Amino acid sequence: MNYFLKRTFQLLCTVFLVSLITFAAFYVIPGDPARVILGPEASDGQIDALRVELGLDKPLTTRYFEWIAGAFRGDLGRSLTFRQPVSRLIAQKLPVTLSIAAMSILMTVLVAFPLGIVASGRPGKFLDQLFSVLGHIFFAFPPFVLALLMTLFLGLTLKLFVAGEYISYTDSIPGFIASLFYPSIAVAIPKIAISQKFIRASIIVEKEKDYIRTAKSHGLSDTKVMFRHILPNSLVPIITVFSIIASEILGGILVVEMVFNIPGISRLLITSINARDFPLTEGIVLYLAVMTVIVYFIADILHSLVDPRIRLR
Amino acid sequence: MILRQCIGRPSAERDFCMSRFAAESGNGRIAYMLRVVSILFVLCFVAHTLSACTAPFRAKSRAPEGGCIYGGEVVIGITQEPGIFDPHTSVAAGDEEILFNIFEGLVKCTPSGEFVPALATDFTISDDAMTYTFTIRTGVIFHNGETMTPEDVVFSLSRAAGLETGIPLVSELSGIEAVEISGENEVRVILDAPDAELLPFFTAAIVPRFVSDFNDTPIGTGPFRFLSYRVCESVVLVRNNAYWQSGIPYLDKVTFKITTDMNTAFMQLRSGSIDIFPYLDPEKASQIRSDFQILSGESNLVHIFALNNRESPFDDPKVREAINYAIDRTELIRLLVDGEGTPIFSGMSPAMGTYYNASLENIFTYDPDRAIALLAEAGYPEGFEATVKVPSNYQHHVNAATVIADQLSRVGIDLSIVSVDWATWLSEVYSEREFQSTIIALTSDFAPRDVLSRYVSDAQNNFINYANPEYDAVFSRIQSEPDETERIKLYLKLQEFLADDSASVFFEDPRNIVAVSNELSGYVVYPIYVQDMSTVHYN
Repeated sequence: MNYFLKRTFQLLCTVFLVSLITFAAFYVIPGDPARVILGPEASDGQIDALRVELGLDKPLTTRYFEWIAGAFRGDLGRSLTFRQPVSRLIAQKLPVTLSIAAMSILMTVLVAFPLGIVASGRPGKFLDQLFSVLGHIFFAFPPFVLALLMTLFLGLTLKLFVAGEYISYTDSIPGFIASLFYPSIAVAIPKIAISQKFIRASIIVEKEKDYIRTAKSHGLSDTKVMFRHILPNSLVPIITVFSIIASEILGGILVVEMVFNIPGISRLLITSINARDFPLTEGIVLYLAVMTVIVYFIADILHSLVDPRIRLR
Repeated sequence: MILRQCIGRPSAERDFCMSRFAAESGNGRIAYMLRVVSILFVLCFVAHTLSACTAPFRAKSRAPEGGCIYGGEVVIGITQEPGIFDPHTSVAAGDEEILFNIFEGLVKCTPSGEFVPALATDFTISDDAMTYTFTIRTGVIFHNGETMTPEDVVFSLSRAAGLETGIPLVSELSGIEAVEISGENEVRVILDAPDAELLPFFTAAIVPRFVSDFNDTPIGTGPFRFLSYRVCESVVLVRNNAYWQSGIPYLDKVTFKITTDMNTAFMQLRSGSIDIFPYLDPEKASQIRSDFQILSGESNLVHIFALNNRESPFDDPKVREAINYAIDRTELIRLLVDGEGTPIFSGMSPAMGTYYNASLENIFTYDPDRAIALLAEAGYPEGFEATVKVPSNYQHHVNAATVIADQLSRVGIDLSIVSVDWATWLSEVYSEREFQSTIIALTSDFAPRDVLSRYVSDAQNNFINYANPEYDAVFSRIQSEPDETERIKLYLKLQEFLADDSASVFFEDPRNIVAVSNELSGYVVYPIYVQDMSTVHYN
């Protein structure tokens, strides 16, 4: 119980700090949301009227504290650009980013583990070298290059999917999953490359240990040794890597969302920053902070489950 | 399994012996290979199955069945997120291009730039230009089923002119003093000062008087009804079956798909998930010329290399003149838009027809020597350093800055490019006027006054700080001038001032290039920032 209280306190501190930094950024950066909404052709009178309507005549500091007070009650304010409650906007975009995140993590697990296990089987031999080189190449690709190449070759040339076609979950759930399939691949590939490396290294370290030699000499088959002994004991660093990957993916990969035209959280964030939409930006930043803390919290719990020597403190 | 070779050894060696065999057992090699192959096979199978499953969800044809020209759905790509659906509040061009299909005013703009009756069937302007009288069309039905009445017209115009609140929503209509019903199906608008040129601004939308929030429920009389708006995704309009003009629209559904940038939109065009894409780059247009219809038209944009008349060294008219000679407009247009643009030399584009001062053409030729001489006269024989602040979200302006910097370097001017985001540009350059030079494309309503009003010295949008009392004097005469021919002369004179004073470097009106799917016909390019979907149909 102590642990949970401590974690919750940490969560609140993180969230508050992050929102404060965002507020400071808005304070410093020039830009008027009313002018951005109405564009250059609006008259000063129109701009002033809109500012009053949006509550922009109050100083930023006041608006920040009002937002914090609201956030405690669960009310994240109204977006200046879209005239909708911030929580509703985030809730609309969340299923998209979360679905891509879930599919990418699933793909990463399904592909990186076998590749890592296979590569660790014969370290230094041909297959391991091949995976290593491929891994380096795919990891070095900037995500948007990968996304563009996929769209060009798989989408336009091979016509495996229609580039830019996005089916909303409100229209059809299977279609929604289908349209997120290739973006998830684009997100997953660099993650597969990096996690395969970690899995392989972790397994090799574990394999050298004495008890594995004992297990083999007792006649346990390679498969049993791998899945019952090596893997479970090498999971600790693997869980760490996956928690970092997960927290990154949950924020949405902007370039993938842009190239595949997916309306996710990261696109919403960029739009709100460009429009100087203070409540919406704070709301999304809050979501990102909360998500990251939750992911690390889950990672901690998994660590303690996998290795009883690690205690939740 | 204790291997035979290892049995006879001492125990320490036995361990070592077995571990070696455990690691390198021959059986393992084949099993290993099989494992690898089976994993890869499974992965491929899964991937193929999944992609086969996604097949039914790929794009189906959006054309109507049976080759009928009525019906079908069209997706048009836009790169600006719409913000406002209230037709009187919305000023940004990106909003208006969609709203053109939902709302209509008493008059409407045609593709050739004329203003013809729409919700009014006829209009007259009094001789003293203080009264406009409109005959209202009957039988027009709003999207919510209500019939449009003259009361709605009065309500709409009063709201737009801000008669009750004192704040005009449509600033061009601020001169309206009263709007009243003057007879059966007749509405009279009374101005507080003579103005013979107010007609183009009666495109202000007529809305039902009992609706309160137009942003939530945009209800108008246009050929399409608002269906939905999903943030960062799309705006969907559906056919207005009760539209007053017979024969149009053809389409059942129009989706304005919001894409973030040109490259993504281009790929969607090629893959078929977008049917129409306006404001295309010329090089991209040339890549798809064989698969698409490429239409183009004048945009009535003034692409300007703006010089802040209050910032040194651009406060010196000689310096500004020198720069006008230092810029090679032909090369600039060739590099920026592949030649798809019209060079301009003053503040108005030839798209404005009779109001455009054609005598100013080529008043500035490309003459670097003359530029250098003028700079020397102004006291800058070695040239000088300056900055140009460009909005980074508009690739056209960033590219223009690069070319212009190169051209100016040939006359000794070292121009460094400062790239800022749109909100910062609006705030620093446009509102606070803290800049030396910048590059932007100026849009305006299709009215000469709107194009040139920004150069009046105390105009709110006079961000280049141009101040010429003669210009102000001529401009103020226009509104009260009853004779059209005289007014045209005054407009020509204003453009002369801008050229003589080298208010800035006006260099082009880039053409609007639109890619349209080969399955569609009827799309027309307008000289204003609108997308008219009422005439588009499948073949």
